[in-house]
Amino acid sequence: MDIKIEDLSPIFCEVLENDDLLITESTVAADVPEWDSLNHIYLVVAIEKQFKVKFTTHQIQSWKCVGDILTDLNK
Amino acid sequence: MLFNSFQFFLFLPIVFVLYWFVFSKNKSTQNVFLLIASYVFYSFWDWRFSFLLAFSTILDFSTGLIIEKADSHLKKRRWMRFSILTNLGLLAYFKYTNFFIDSFIDLFNVIGIHSDPYTLNIILPVGISFYTFHGVSYVLDIYFGRIKPHQNIVDYSLFVSYFPLLVSGPIERATHLLPQIKEKREFGYVQGVEGLKLIIWGLFKKIVIADSLAPVVNEIFQNYQNHSSITLIIGVIGFAFQVYGDFSGYTDIARGVSKLLGIELILNFNFPYFSKSIPEFWSKWHISLSSWLNDYVFTPLALRFRNWGRQGVFMAVTLTFLISGFWHGAAWHFVIWGALHAIYYIPSIYSKKGLKSMVKKKVELISFTDLPKIIITFSFVCFGYVFFRADSLLIAFNYIEIIIIDFISNPAQLFLLPMGVKIVYFSAIFLILELLIFNYKLFSKKVFWLSLLLIEIQFCYDLFYSVDIPNTFIYFQF
Repeated sequence: MDIKIEDLSPIFCEVLENDDLLITESTVAADVPEWDSLNHIYLVVAIEKQFKVKFTTHQIQSWKCVGDILTDLNK
Repeated sequence: MLFNSFQFFLFLPIVFVLYWFVFSKNKSTQNVFLLIASYVFYSFWDWRFSFLLAFSTILDFSTGLIIEKADSHLKKRRWMRFSILTNLGLLAYFKYTNFFIDSFIDLFNVIGIHSDPYTLNIILPVGISFYTFHGVSYVLDIYFGRIKPHQNIVDYSLFVSYFPLLVSGPIERATHLLPQIKEKREFGYVQGVEGLKLIIWGLFKKIVIADSLAPVVNEIFQNYQNHSSITLIIGVIGFAFQVYGDFSGYTDIARGVSKLLGIELILNFNFPYFSKSIPEFWSKWHISLSSWLNDYVFTPLALRFRNWGRQGVFMAVTLTFLISGFWHGAAWHFVIWGALHAIYYIPSIYSKKGLKSMVKKKVELISFTDLPKIIITFSFVCFGYVFFRADSLLIAFNYIEIIIIDFISNPAQLFLLPMGVKIVYFSAIFLILELLIFNYKLFSKKVFWLSLLLIEIQFCYDLFYSVDIPNTFIYFQF
């Protein structure tokens, strides 16, 4: 798969209910007020559904920034 | 050694002087000295448990290194599980053995098998709930690749056993505390003054607020059968202010002492009783525990249940609060207190406004339109406190029953406020003062000296009238 940041952006905007949200590969949860622990779960579910993948708990817990999600998606 | 004891008032200046004037040449000697001071501090309770603390420290430090070097994911996972199970096993043995024995005896009695009650005489090592959480989070963070293991055992041991936070937190994270321990500290005048202010304010909250409320609250809870509905309500509200004064006071002293040593500890309370919802309350009350539970209990559970939608989130929230209740005490009334807060969360989960980011830097400006929400949230919190403070589940239910029945038979009593009203009045003023002083930076010299004067007056009063001073902090038992 060749998934880019532009493919993830709409999912973040929808789940976090913020159309003006701009994410980059270095964006971390602390940068986005809406990205709390509950929305993090909803983000995982939405990404898995959109790209038809299943992450392991270890993968998800190891993510530090958006770039890490992209890396795991493109594996 | 308690923060409000004379021993500590001798211990702290000695540590301060030696730390800044004798061992200040390099950070390694400073850290070795602080580590020795921390073990001396801890040994004042029971020196034998220092070995347990050392064992737990060495276990987690070694496991961190082994996980990092392990060549397969399977080996990493095995070592992570070994460390976590050993830590939690020790916690379970010291804290929960008698609870499980009692519960099994009760269960056998219910099904008709009678056995002689036999419990072990197990002493709970002070601070075990707190330093276990330090170690567990350190190992998990290494396992998930969030941090690298620390190579220096002195620095790591200090992270676990640093005396200002050793017995009652705040529960620190390696990412916040270890970098400060690794760096050389310089004494700063401003930081020192802020530290002293926090110590004085913490002592004020503990000695003047919490310890003054304690006898009144204790009397109401011990003889709840003899009191009216309104007095029982005042008893719970009094306890709300007592537990806040006690625990946030303790945390302020811990943070103040640490500032004197050039190390910043995380904020643990952020005006929780001004919260407008239960999730907001939990983002402002015992923040270090809430965020720990959020990261190491709620998130893994919610991920596991993620395909069950909102029901999965509710399951994760419920289990997290049950664990939180059980962590607070090995008794069913604490578990029910946790369950109650899980129920309080339901509207937030289903409206998806729930678990906002855990730590907010500053309390928002409060308007009068927020007042109903603040009062409703505080009322829910107080209802939970009945279960938290009562000595057993049965007493908690009886307490609530009397509040309801007595109130229905005589609703006019709401307007006949008895002696306890001054507690509520006094405590509410104190909370507003605290908000003004700290949030709006109004901590002037006058406030400093006034607090000190009130602490002195309270001390003299207690000595003169031989008042039975509560000499410990509520959270030490957890």
